[in-house]
Amino acid sequence: MKFIVFLIVTLSIFPLIAQDSCSYQLSGYVIDEHDRLPLSDSKVYIIKPRRGVFADSSGYFVFPELCSGTYEFYCKHVGCDAVKKTITIRGNTKQNFYPEHHVDFDVVNVLAKKTINEISLGTRKLSEKDKNETKGLSLGEGLTRINGVRKLSTGNNISKPVIHGLHSNRILILNNGVRQEGQQWGNEHAPEIDPFIAGELAVVKGANSIRYGPDAIGGVVLVNPKELRKTPGIGGELNLVGLSNGLQGNASATLDGNSSKFPAIRWRLQGTVKRGGNAKTPDYYLKNTGSKEYNFSSAFGYNKLKYGIDFFYSQFNTDIGIFSAAHIGNLTDLQQAFEAEEPLESAGFTYDIDRPRQHIEHELFKTKGYLRTGKKGKIVLTYARQYNKRLEYDKHAPLNDSLANLNLPALQFELTTHAAEILWEHIRINSFKGSLGINGTYQENTYEGRFFIPNFQKIGAGIFWIESWKPKSSKLEIESGVRFDNIYQRIYMWQYGAIVSPAQNYMNMSSTLGAIYKVNKQLILRSNLGTAWRPPNINELYSNGLHHGAASIEIGDSTLVTEKAVNVSASIEYSGKRLSLVLDAYYNVINDFIYLKPTLVPTVTIKGAFPTFVNDQVNAHLRGLDLTLSYALTKELKVISKASILHAFNQTTRQYLVMMPSDRFENSLEYNFKDGKKVENAYVSLSVTSVLKQSRVPENSDYANPPEGYTVLNFAAGIDIPLKGNRISLGISANNLLNTRYRDYMNRFRYFADEMGRNISVRATIPFTLFTPKSIHNE
Amino acid sequence: MKTKTNMKTKTKTNMRAISFLGLACIVALSSCKKDDDLVTVPQPIANEAEVITTVTLQFTDAAGVQPSVTATFRDPDGDGGLNYDVFDTIRLQNNTIYNASILLLNETVSPADTISNEVLAEDDEHFFCFTPSFANVSIIRTDTDGTYEVGLQSQWTVGNVGNGTTQIVLKHQPGIKDGTCAPGETDIDVTFVTEIQ
Repeated sequence: MKFIVFLIVTLSIFPLIAQDSCSYQLSGYVIDEHDRLPLSDSKVYIIKPRRGVFADSSGYFVFPELCSGTYEFYCKHVGCDAVKKTITIRGNTKQNFYPEHHVDFDVVNVLAKKTINEISLGTRKLSEKDKNETKGLSLGEGLTRINGVRKLSTGNNISKPVIHGLHSNRILILNNGVRQEGQQWGNEHAPEIDPFIAGELAVVKGANSIRYGPDAIGGVVLVNPKELRKTPGIGGELNLVGLSNGLQGNASATLDGNSSKFPAIRWRLQGTVKRGGNAKTPDYYLKNTGSKEYNFSSAFGYNKLKYGIDFFYSQFNTDIGIFSAAHIGNLTDLQQAFEAEEPLESAGFTYDIDRPRQHIEHELFKTKGYLRTGKKGKIVLTYARQYNKRLEYDKHAPLNDSLANLNLPALQFELTTHAAEILWEHIRINSFKGSLGINGTYQENTYEGRFFIPNFQKIGAGIFWIESWKPKSSKLEIESGVRFDNIYQRIYMWQYGAIVSPAQNYMNMSSTLGAIYKVNKQLILRSNLGTAWRPPNINELYSNGLHHGAASIEIGDSTLVTEKAVNVSASIEYSGKRLSLVLDAYYNVINDFIYLKPTLVPTVTIKGAFPTFVNDQVNAHLRGLDLTLSYALTKELKVISKASILHAFNQTTRQYLVMMPSDRFENSLEYNFKDGKKVENAYVSLSVTSVLKQSRVPENSDYANPPEGYTVLNFAAGIDIPLKGNRISLGISANNLLNTRYRDYMNRFRYFADEMGRNISVRATIPFTLFTPKSIHNE
Repeated sequence: MKTKTNMKTKTKTNMRAISFLGLACIVALSSCKKDDDLVTVPQPIANEAEVITTVTLQFTDAAGVQPSVTATFRDPDGDGGLNYDVFDTIRLQNNTIYNASILLLNETVSPADTISNEVLAEDDEHFFCFTPSFANVSIIRTDTDGTYEVGLQSQWTVGNVGNGTTQIVLKHQPGIKDGTCAPGETDIDVTFVTEIQ
């Protein structure tokens, strides 16, 4: 009601202001004092005369039509105390605001700091600049901008995030606060998420097992959509990205609305289309490496201070061509492919996707409701359903024509997951704040076609409690959490003509203890000790079959036991005037670490003899550090250095672990131009990335030695053009600028072909306002 | 002031209309997909699209003197799973010329599917390669797809007594067949122990 009064008041004074000849403007950003992130939908206002404007989704605001003189400006973010600043206007003025941002009171905030309680593990966010520069690339590719995060790829279209050497079932991806449930065990199964959905991409490195499940041994990837629109009106954003390699085009649009009559109602529609053709290495095209994708999502929220409910639905659909020359029949083919200078199958450019290929669909429905309980607490109920369908088509259709005409996939998986959670959160009571919750999941998987993993049902239940302690004036904050889980799974498979259905039950506890010490505004120290555990995955227990891409036979072991991890990590975050530094160090001990161990006797099949791997358990130690250093040489020029080092050792057999990322170093120079009248945030940057040859590998574990190290040069530039309160953002980047020929150890197709050559991307982000109630922007 | 209020009402009506339109879209788009299969009754493995389980070589003496010989490799459940159950040695008489033909079967289905017929139907995409490890046997392909040889039919010229192996490879070379063994994906690769008696 207050808001409507405010609207009417501003509306009625509008003509007065419009007649005024005053034409100066105040512009700037509203920024979170603590983590320097923009605070979207904040309000900047003056009392006399009563006028206000809202900041856009990037925290940017323009306060127009000011006369010269001294004003008292207030800036307020939803749920926060207003900050007051006296500013003298003599011309167009720039001023940023840093309102006190009380997370606890923010009713609809879904940001990372809210959803992840274990703050003693630093959350490393993808910067706005990195997010822009990686638009059009896959999620796994984009996340590699975060130091310590690498990718495990299968050709140019499939990449999965690797955190501190761990991936697949050992990391957890939270899509809009929901655990992503796909067939993530497979090395060639990339996360089924549209990166354009994300308003924020972040990674928590280290065992983060209390809040979302015990199995996040390596870390958590957070994909958080932007908050729904809080200001009345309808607006949106259009993203266009073109990439030269594979002539890939992306278009993504978002439409956000907020009702002026019922401010509690917010909604969003979003969609993305993507199409790419054959990628090119410096010397040749990669046959059948096109991809297409079409995704959409919708969200609806009804949010009051006391209660509210949100609905979210998204669909991800993709067709991915698998590089033809990598689909091989047997070891001899592999050897031949490896010895060949160029792939044995060549191609020109085409958008057509042929066999072998994958078709994947992923669907997420989520609803979340909250209810405030008294002054100190809140109950949050969440339900989510996910459906994942994965079709894999072999290189050649069946020889039998009638079978071939059906065009069936060789392999099909359908995975349905239901998850529900009840959470009670309380804000600070006597220096303590925390949350208590229970959650349950039910999952079922079916397969058709060639056997690789069996049908199964899985029921999981967990209970957790996490509290943090921080007296008001204390620099030290301590947090501790505990979680208990029970996981039951039952398998259905054919054996000697009959269906067998063995079942397993796993029960365990995980806990965490951490501390944060804020020495001063510049320096923060964090340390964390966490345990995590993971029951063996279905494929590790029961897989039995031939991997075409890897020319190997993988055999599961139904007697595998739970994997248990203890992770110690510490970080230093310093942000001074010129120098800033982030150092993450970790030591991860994983007992009964499950990995594929080569057997001495190959399996003889009609296609020849295949090297055979069995799932085995050893004790593994992974330790390393990630360092990011940034130094401002002048106001405009900044030098940034990153280093990421990992040692992964198999303590049981006293040798290194296979398929671990090698050391990586990156140095870049960034020049930020002074903001002009018509242009803002203009920059150019040049970076040199060096990846060393992986020398820490077990002997005789691979068909060929790891590829040589490499160095590539990347370039990027961007510019923002303010236009009536919105800002159009343009950018260009070039990856592998010098068209360097190289292969990467973490690409499973390294035996067959070089990495992509030069890739130039051009992008535009165009925000638009379809409709604003006249009273908000006094223009 | 009056026009202002009118405008406000109108824009509000518009907004409400657009909001409801948005809502309607959300509901319309949110129809869930379902898995129609039963978890408790997995698809039988026998339903698999296609596998080659059996390779049989049938030898007949071109002169009609020596008895016919067969040699078979059989892996009844395809790649992975159980191992092969038949892996014969090729036993041929010395100084004889044999005509050989290859029979490929899928025995995971009943009755067995004769895959070699499918290979014959698509002979321009298939190519057999024969590699004896010793000089006592020399093998030539005797059939053709019109441009290149195929190898379903071949002639084995057997010399003196001796022991070795013979590797038989079937390459699938759709659109890339060039009369050599190099291109394509391997469908079959079996190395038979070969005895010349």
